[in-house]
Amino acid sequence: MTIVANPRSSPVSIRRNEVEFQDGASLLRGRTTTVDGQVTYAYRTLLAGAFPRGMALVAVGGYGRRELFPHSDIDLLLLVDKELQSDEQRTGLSVFLRSLWDGNLRLSQSVRTIAECTKFDTTNVELAISLLDARFLIGDSELFEQLADRLPKFFRSQRQSIAQKLCEMTQARHLKFDNTISHLEPNIKEGPGGLRDLHVVGWLSKLRETPPAPDPALDNAAAFLFSVRAHLHTQAGRDSNVLTFDMQEEMSPDPAVWMREFFRHARVIHRSALGTVEACEGMLSSGLIRSFRDWRSRLSNTEISVIRDRVMLRSPQNLFSDALLLFRLFEFVGRHGIPLSIDTERRIREGVTARTVALPDPAHQWSALKTVLSQPHAALALHGMDNTGLLGLLLPAWKTIECLVIRDFYHRYTVDEHTLITISHIDRLRTGSDPTRRRFTEMLSETQDPALLVIALIFHDVGKSDGLSGHAQASAREASTQLTCMGMPEEERLIVEFLVEHHLDISAVINSRDLSDPATAVDLATRVETLEKLRYLTLLTYADISAVNPDAMTPWRLEQLWHAYLAGHRELTRELDTDRIHARQPDHKSDWLEGFPVRYLRTHSGSQIDSHMQLASEAKETGAAVEIVRRSGAWHLTVVSKDRPGLLAGLAGAVSSFGMNIVRVEAFANNSGWILDSLMFEDPMRTLELNAGEADRLRQLVRKVLLGKEDVDRLLRGRARPQLPTRAARILPAVFFDNEASASSTLVEIVAQDRPALFYDLARTFSAYGCSIEVVLIDTEAHKAIDVFYVTHQRGKIPPELQSTLQGELLQVCAS
Amino acid sequence: MKKIEAIIQPFKLEEVKEALKNIGIDGMTITEVRGHGRQKGHKEVYRGHEYNVDLLPKIKVEMVLPDLRVEEALKTLAGAARTGNIGDGKIFVFDVAEAIRIRNDDRGESAL
Repeated sequence: MTIVANPRSSPVSIRRNEVEFQDGASLLRGRTTTVDGQVTYAYRTLLAGAFPRGMALVAVGGYGRRELFPHSDIDLLLLVDKELQSDEQRTGLSVFLRSLWDGNLRLSQSVRTIAECTKFDTTNVELAISLLDARFLIGDSELFEQLADRLPKFFRSQRQSIAQKLCEMTQARHLKFDNTISHLEPNIKEGPGGLRDLHVVGWLSKLRETPPAPDPALDNAAAFLFSVRAHLHTQAGRDSNVLTFDMQEEMSPDPAVWMREFFRHARVIHRSALGTVEACEGMLSSGLIRSFRDWRSRLSNTEISVIRDRVMLRSPQNLFSDALLLFRLFEFVGRHGIPLSIDTERRIREGVTARTVALPDPAHQWSALKTVLSQPHAALALHGMDNTGLLGLLLPAWKTIECLVIRDFYHRYTVDEHTLITISHIDRLRTGSDPTRRRFTEMLSETQDPALLVIALIFHDVGKSDGLSGHAQASAREASTQLTCMGMPEEERLIVEFLVEHHLDISAVINSRDLSDPATAVDLATRVETLEKLRYLTLLTYADISAVNPDAMTPWRLEQLWHAYLAGHRELTRELDTDRIHARQPDHKSDWLEGFPVRYLRTHSGSQIDSHMQLASEAKETGAAVEIVRRSGAWHLTVVSKDRPGLLAGLAGAVSSFGMNIVRVEAFANNSGWILDSLMFEDPMRTLELNAGEADRLRQLVRKVLLGKEDVDRLLRGRARPQLPTRAARILPAVFFDNEASASSTLVEIVAQDRPALFYDLARTFSAYGCSIEVVLIDTEAHKAIDVFYVTHQRGKIPPELQSTLQGELLQVCAS
Repeated sequence: MKKIEAIIQPFKLEEVKEALKNIGIDGMTITEVRGHGRQKGHKEVYRGHEYNVDLLPKIKVEMVLPDLRVEEALKTLAGAARTGNIGDGKIFVFDVAEAIRIRNDDRGESAL
């Protein structure tokens, strides 16, 4: 027997009504009323005879909440006073259930006594949760009253256990969806910001002694999602909850705009769920977790406090007067990897929306933002800035990609989320947590300014708001305009523009070029121009591919990316000393450039070359010109002088004698015999910064060394040697000679434990054996010095017998 | 029916796909693989460390075709994948006993 005999409850009539419903909530109520009719009718006709008393039908879960979607399961509790005793009861129950199934209802039923319902079972917490929405349907009302009387006491006694389990289940479910709402094809039931999150908010509120006040924004979001899920069920003809691209087109003639509306509602629900879980967890955390959180609270300072592992402002009202407070707050988040509290996030969002938060003048915003982007957890800070709307306020281009769905078979996330994930991949490299990515971690540590990489990633896809075609160029234009307004120095801006415009280049090389073909390496090297830009672009490509979806960066692709980097690296180091500038027409500028490596033009802007030429004019009159400036936190020494043996070593010795730590060296010589050497160094004791006149004293000393009026050995004599690290932590020195890498020089690569005056000692050793340093590249990676010298001996390559002697001497210098 | 399995250079994938598409062959399975034949591997030096690159990245292309189309496909595939250098790859051809389209139970060549 089936229930379809009752025409008002036939499945056909339900479907017809559903199509007509526009309002999701009324549709659900209507569907619930219809199913109530089917179930009670079946009970009266098939079950009541076998159970004159001692049986009650109770709607639980979504059915209990009156939220039945067209193809939802019907959660039904058959409450009995004792276990089923007679065959008549069992047969009656069987016929009752079968008839409902035959009536096209997908039942999810259980038969339980009151004692079973009020006993907490850790392996079936779902039962306890479903009882939070219990609703009497028909049968023995006295029996249901008994259950209803006992449930509040049961929930009071088990509140902590149920809430804890609920929080764990929510976090596990969010993790399955990568903790983001921003999927291109979101699951509107189980995904973050979906209906399950809404249920969690409701359940945890019911478990609290004083439930929170209703939130109208949450009600609106719920109504929206109800309509969407009802439509999905109706269209698919089954319990389908994924908002596929096809379904998005069904929803609106402009799916991209409609999806933004969808994400706006999903975000409201997601935030509410996170806030509720966060509040709940604060009350539930175990002793060990609490201890850890208490420890983290010691990071608090005079304006920022850490409470229960969340960052809060001590005086939120300062947001409206202190222009740099927001940046210090997000710098704190990025430095310590602790997220903002939901409440602080809300306060900032309100201030940003009302445009009442204080911000620095646009021309000074880059320097403030840069400190945030330089932190090891920059992605977390940027997530906070995104959630509060601050990122969109600072960078208007960001708004154009917020919740932007671009259809792509491989991509899993919206454009903004993809961008934030790229930065989290860079953060993972910074922490070096993944040994399979060690080579890329090292590459990142060799970059001069990771903040430039991060800002390039932020901009790399903003052009997608105008479509995929040519988006790299559009993104670069946008980056140029906005970063100029924010006061980014030209030198940095040009790098960022380059990275954004060329962010697809290495992927294209991997996919369509033979990596073993020398022409591929030449092409790549020509495009990136410098090793620094090659590193940035490789890391940008790494992050971009990794953020497409969790499986996109396969070991295979990672290897291909590494080989592309190696090809470019080899080519750029090979041509350092061979390709020289040959000016066509002699003039003042050509005289200066003639004979410099081609790399000089690539690595210096027009204004820098002009400044070098001014130094050269000064040097022609005085014999040597010296400039010392501080840029981007590091000191830069530039000298122009006539070349002579041992000059570079003397220069390095002079700088080292002041206790400075040389981190980068470039040496150039032109055909007229002038040298241009530049050293970037750190001032660990802040000597130059804190003592007015010291920079000038160093300048005078360097001048004397250049003119041969100062003995560098004497300067360094008596300086205390730093203590070497323990043997286990010490870097073993290595010296390699390569006569093939260059047409005219021998390439000497030295890896050693860094120490003051190391470069001076190495350079002096070369000079002592009559070798000339043509080109030098110095990198310092934490305590590891990686120095590459292009060296000649009597205008040719270093002969093998001298290589052997030099190797011993250099190793001794490294180890001393 | 025959199954064609080709191991090709990664950078030749787009050309091969395009060439096969031009003769009306769209269906194929692509896998990222690593291996070596006579090309063997090589050593690379970076930052003073030597790396053995003995398994080289390749792409495996698989497709099943009616017997009549096999020769044309092989010629097209080999032509598009060839550079003339060691490491261009190999093509293998197998007999296929049966093909079934899961959606509607079509069998034989009509399932291809």
